[in-house]
Amino acid sequence: MSETTRLDKMIQLVAEQAIEKSSQVLSKLLKQGAKIELKQVSLMDIALVTEKMNEEDKEVVAAFIGLEGDAPFKFLFSVGMADALQITDLFLGQETGTTIAFDDMTASAVQEVGNILSSAISNVFSQDFQVEMKPTPPEVIQDYLGTLFQQFIMDLAMESDQILIIESKFKIVRSELDCYMYLLPLAGSTEALGMATGMK
Amino acid sequence: MNENNRIVVGIGDLKTGQAPSVIRTTLGSCIAVCLYDQQKKIGGMLHLMMADSRVAGNRPDMRRAKYADTGIPDLIDDLKNKHNVEVGSLKAKIFGGAKVLKVVTANIGEENEEAARKILKGYNISIVAAKTGGEKGYQVDFSLETGKIQCRIFGQEPEEY
Repeated sequence: MSETTRLDKMIQLVAEQAIEKSSQVLSKLLKQGAKIELKQVSLMDIALVTEKMNEEDKEVVAAFIGLEGDAPFKFLFSVGMADALQITDLFLGQETGTTIAFDDMTASAVQEVGNILSSAISNVFSQDFQVEMKPTPPEVIQDYLGTLFQQFIMDLAMESDQILIIESKFKIVRSELDCYMYLLPLAGSTEALGMATGMK
Repeated sequence: MNENNRIVVGIGDLKTGQAPSVIRTTLGSCIAVCLYDQQKKIGGMLHLMMADSRVAGNRPDMRRAKYADTGIPDLIDDLKNKHNVEVGSLKAKIFGGAKVLKVVTANIGEENEEAARKILKGYNISIVAAKTGGEKGYQVDFSLETGKIQCRIFGQEPEEY
């Protein structure tokens, strides 16, 4: 097995467990069945991945969180504007359609979901792989998806032309909400996880 | 806009084309340098990330379009070699350079803009329009039919440059 394939498999293993845990936590929080699906774990060219996002007019609310520790990651939870309102209603236990405009409550709901998901992921790292991780306070921003994604990958893109992206999509109850979660391994994290999983 | 005519530029990349194409990108701290030959209706866009390529240690395989000092010359060469455009006929417009994240302390956007202006000046290419800075993202659509650029800063009405 090549080194790249081995690393991809290891990251996929960690991502699957982290996402499974996040699904459980999110279901409990929203008191609704929430399923987060791993969409892809892939090494992508920075120009191509951002070209795809720049093509759309998509406006989103996103929570930026750093996962600091032995295997540093960056975490981004992004949700389309309309679905951010629905998340707010689910989060507050209100009937869908109650929140009709973006406000502080919407920002708080997105921040809280980001917080909960990143904490669930850091718990998987520490409990299942003995890799200590701590989430930083979230920064919630409303902007174009293309803009926010570029800021998300900027540090790594300055050093490398390819980035390893873990992308997942959310389904809450029966609706497929336009929510995505991205995990970006920073320098040294694949090696630390390789040691922890015995795959290196 | 006919989407078949749309050319999309990602981060650290450059694209050139001719009328009736529209070149689009979305920006944060990066800068879009748009060059246009009005007579030939040919133009190009560079989406640069950083001012100076020396940070890449002059690696032969570095992506030159990431940097102002290598990307702008490459954009000009592309317009000259692929489209037969003379440097003297080019006008520039620049956009972007926002400081989107509060946690980022360095003002990369300002550095990028300053570098782009300096390099364009070195080629005697005049900057006929610019919209830079702020804290929100930019969506830029560059019409190669008219040379006009529609710039929409997040949360604001689009403006034409």
